[in-house]
Amino acid sequence: MGIYSQIQDQIVYYQSWYKNYCNIMHMPIRHGPVQTVKNLHKYPWLWQLAKVNRLLDMVTKGRQGNYRKATAAVVEKVVPNLMQLLDNLNTDTDRLVLHEDMVPPEILFAMGLKTWMSELLGILLPMVDSHSVEKYIDIAENAGIPPDVCSLPKGTMGIILNQEVPPVKAILTSNSPCDGGMASYQLIKNKLDIPMYQLDVPYNFYNERAINYFANELKEMIAWLETNTPGKMDWDHLRAICEERNRMAAYELELWEAIRQRPAPLAAEAVYLSHLWCFNVTPGDPGGTELFKYLVELANDNVQKNIAAVPNEKYRTVLWNPPLLHFIKLFSWAERHYGLTLIIDSMSYNRQPFIDTSTQESMLKGLAHIIMTGPMARHTRGPSENYFNDMFYIYTYFDLDMILVAGHIGCKNTAALNGILREKCRKKGIPVLIIDYDLSDPRVVSHDGIIRQMDRFMENIMKNTH
Amino acid sequence: MNRKLFAGCDVGSTTGKAVLLNSNGILGQAVCQSEIDPEETAKKVLAQACEMATTNISPNDITYLIGTGYGRREVPFANENISEITCHAMGAFSCLPETRTIIDIGGQDVKAISVGTKGDVLDFAMNDKCAAGTGRFFEMMAKIFRMDIELFSDLSLQSKKTIAVTSQCSVFAETEVITLLAKRKNPADIAAGIQTSVARRCFTLMKKTGIEPLVTITGGCSKNKGLVKALEKKLRMPIQNLPIDPQLMGAYGAAVMAMKRYAG
Repeated sequence: MGIYSQIQDQIVYYQSWYKNYCNIMHMPIRHGPVQTVKNLHKYPWLWQLAKVNRLLDMVTKGRQGNYRKATAAVVEKVVPNLMQLLDNLNTDTDRLVLHEDMVPPEILFAMGLKTWMSELLGILLPMVDSHSVEKYIDIAENAGIPPDVCSLPKGTMGIILNQEVPPVKAILTSNSPCDGGMASYQLIKNKLDIPMYQLDVPYNFYNERAINYFANELKEMIAWLETNTPGKMDWDHLRAICEERNRMAAYELELWEAIRQRPAPLAAEAVYLSHLWCFNVTPGDPGGTELFKYLVELANDNVQKNIAAVPNEKYRTVLWNPPLLHFIKLFSWAERHYGLTLIIDSMSYNRQPFIDTSTQESMLKGLAHIIMTGPMARHTRGPSENYFNDMFYIYTYFDLDMILVAGHIGCKNTAALNGILREKCRKKGIPVLIIDYDLSDPRVVSHDGIIRQMDRFMENIMKNTH
Repeated sequence: MNRKLFAGCDVGSTTGKAVLLNSNGILGQAVCQSEIDPEETAKKVLAQACEMATTNISPNDITYLIGTGYGRREVPFANENISEITCHAMGAFSCLPETRTIIDIGGQDVKAISVGTKGDVLDFAMNDKCAAGTGRFFEMMAKIFRMDIELFSDLSLQSKKTIAVTSQCSVFAETEVITLLAKRKNPADIAAGIQTSVARRCFTLMKKTGIEPLVTITGGCSKNKGLVKALEKKLRMPIQNLPIDPQLMGAYGAAVMAMKRYAG
C-alpha cells in the first residue's frame, strides 16, 4: 500500500472521527448543561454511549480504501441517529413508546410517536464497551431472573430494574423471538406500571391466512396506540416511510449482488451493521437510503478496479445468529490473521418482498410479512427448515467456504438446531464452527477464549496457521 | 531420507511424550511426567527418547521436529508447532488408515475427532472446561479407592452389576462415590459406574462430530481398559487397538507430520 493511500485512509478516519465527535458534543449543547448533568446522573449508561466513537476504531482498524470509507460511513450514520434518539430522553416524552425489536417502528414513526427500542442499550453498550452490560445482567440475576436466560433481555431488565429507562408512556412487545425475551416484558410492565400491548406472531406464517391475521394484529395495535398515546396514524406518512424503506432495500440488494463476487468488494460491518441499524432502528430515514447508495457505489468502484475489501481474502463466511456484541473486533482480527471475510450475517439476510404501498391494507401486510419472516422470528420459531434452508441458501448464493455460528449460550431456541446443523454440515462437507460464547457477557467466554476457538478451527479444519 | 531423523514432541498438561522416527519406523520414544515449565518437559522427554533409541542419537541429530500439545509453543527446538488435534488424527491414521473417529482422553481435556480419508481433521469437539472425564478425574477417583489407575481399571472389570454414578462434576462425583462406599456398595460396581459415567460423556462429545467406524482411542486414558470396555458398550461397536502406544499418538503424529513437511 502506497504512502498516498495510507494518508488517505488516515484522513478518512480523522474526518469521520471529527464528525462523530461534533455530533456527540451537540447533544449536551442542545440539552444545556443542567439537563445534561441531570441526564448523566439519571442514565449512567450515557457515559458509555458518549464513547460511541470507539466503534470507529474497531471497525476501521486494518481496513483500507473503500472498505474503510464504507465502515466509517456506517458509524457516521449510527452516531447522529443515536444522538437524536437520546433527545427523546427530555423532549416529547408523552409520545415516547418503549418497543421490542420485533415490533415495526415504521408504524410508530407514522403515528408521530417517539421510539425507544428496549433492547437497543443491551445491543449498543457492549459494542462500545465489552463489559458495560455486566452490571445490568447482575442486577437482573440478583432480582431473581434465572442465570440461563439470554443476557440481552437480562441486561434490558437490569436497566429497567435500576430505573435507568427513559420516561416511556406505553410498551409494545410481541411473542417473539424467545421465551426469555417474552417473559421479560411482563416484568418490565410490572415495574413501569404502564399499559402494554403484545403482538401475537403466528407460528405457521407461510400462508395468506397468517399474513392477514398478523396484519390485523398490527391494525389492532394501531387502534390501541391511538387510545393509549397521543399518536394518530398518518397513512400518507406511513406510505412515505415504506417507500423510503423500499428504496433502501433496493440498494441493499445491489450491495448483496456486489459482495457475491470473489473477492468481495465490501464485507463485515459495511454489510451487517448498516442493515442492523438502518432497517431495525431507523427504517424510512432517507439518510439510510443515502448510506446504502454510497455503499453500493463504493462496492461497485472496488469491483471495477478489482480491489478486494480484504486484500488476502482466503475464506468467505456467513455469521449465523446476532453478531458477537461484546467482541465486534473479531472480524477485523480474523481478516488480518486468516484472510477470513465475513460476507453476510443471518440478521441482515432478509429475503422479503418490497412493501406494496398501494393501500393501507397492503402496507400492513408488507410490514406483517417483514416481521413474521424476519431473521429472529423465522429462525427461532416454526419448523427447523427455516433455519437450515436459509443457511445453506446463503452458503451457495454467496459462494462461501465455511459457516460460523455465534453459539450464544443463552439462546435455547438455537441450541438444539445447532446440533442438527453440525450433522447436516458434516453430510454436506461444509466446515462449521459453533463459537461458544455469551451474546452480551464476556465473563462467560472471554475474547481470548473466542479467539482460541477460532484458532483451533482455522488450524485444524481450514488448515491454516498464522 | 532414511538418514534423516524426525521427531514429534507432545507437551501435555500431565505428561510429555516424544517419538523419534526415520523412514524405517520408530527409533525411540519416551513418556515423562510434565514439569511446571513446558520447555523443561520438552527437553527432558526428548533427551529420554534419544537415550532409549535403538541407535546412538542426540537431539542435535534431529532434522525436523514438530511440537504439539498444550505446551507446543514452548518447545524451544521445534521447527514448527501443530495443534494436537491434527497430530492425533495424523498419528492414528498413519497407524491405522481406516480410522475415522478418535476419542482422545488426555490429562485435562477430552477431544472427539472426525478423520478424513487422508488423515485430515474433518471436525472436532472438545471439553477443556471441566475435569470430569479426564485423566485428572480418574486420578481423583482412584485415590478414593486407595489404588492407582491401573488397579482401579482392573477393579471396574470385575463388576457384576454397574452402579450408576450420576454426578457429572468431578467434585460432586467424588462425594457420590464416597457416599456409595460408605453404604458398603461393591467397590467394583462403583468403579464400573464411574467408567460408564465417563463413557457417557465421551459418547456425547463423539456424537457432535459423528461416530464412523473405525473408532480408536488415544491419550493416556486409553490404557484404562475398564473405560474402553464401557465406551465400547455405549458405542455398540469395538474400539480398535492401535499398533503403537496410543498415549504417544500425538507425538507420533507430530513426527509423521515432520517427515511430511520436510519432504515438502
